[in-house]
Amino acid sequence: MGIKEVIETINRMQVAGVIERYAIGGAVAATFYLEPVATLDVDVFVEFHTEPGSQMISPEHIFRYLRDRGCEMEGEHVVIAGWPIQFLPASSALVQEALAKAVEKDVDGTPARVFTAEHLAAIALETGRAKDKARVLQFIEADAIDLDRVQEILTRHGLAGAWEQFERQFLK
Amino acid sequence: MKLALTPIIESKRTFRRRAAARPLAEKLRMLDALRERTLAIRRASNSGPAKKDVTHQKYDAGKGKK
Repeated sequence: MGIKEVIETINRMQVAGVIERYAIGGAVAATFYLEPVATLDVDVFVEFHTEPGSQMISPEHIFRYLRDRGCEMEGEHVVIAGWPIQFLPASSALVQEALAKAVEKDVDGTPARVFTAEHLAAIALETGRAKDKARVLQFIEADAIDLDRVQEILTRHGLAGAWEQFERQFLK
Repeated sequence: MKLALTPIIESKRTFRRRAAARPLAEKLRMLDALRERTLAIRRASNSGPAKKDVTHQKYDAGKGKK
């Protein structure tokens, strides 16, 4: 049991048509670029379908698929291979872009779609909690992001101010 | 005794760089292990008698003193 099994399950869901495009975000995605960061759950961003006859987006078909395969619900998480997984919609233009531009990584022969390091940093700045800012600093210190690209992304999404504030606070 | 912080910080930085450079599958296994450890610590800290954290104990001890 482990994250690799989670990724394999998500890939099977994609092949079965339960989800379309997906990308891993959060601390697990950051681990693809940085040293491992302790986390208790996995954030999986997906394009949600609307339920027939409804304008509301719903993860119900995802939960149904996983429940039918013995997975349990834990609050808003589904437990796969011992890990609580949160399926999240791409709720902002920035996250939609991150989902569209996610990259495929190879985990011992298993493909995993992951947000780019630059999108992870931009999303962290948009979220703006202390731990998110700490993660951006980790990316910079590890030289794991292209700062020009991050600034382009932020400017495109009206977040140039967030970068200026971060720069003033931590980099100058 | 003087504490030389620079080599300590540099050594931590090197450790983090090495951890970051490990193969993805290995880093994901490390995440599995880190999560297990975090949960074990949480379980242990929840199973003992309820304790106030150190900050509050200090604050409470200082209350009422003039």
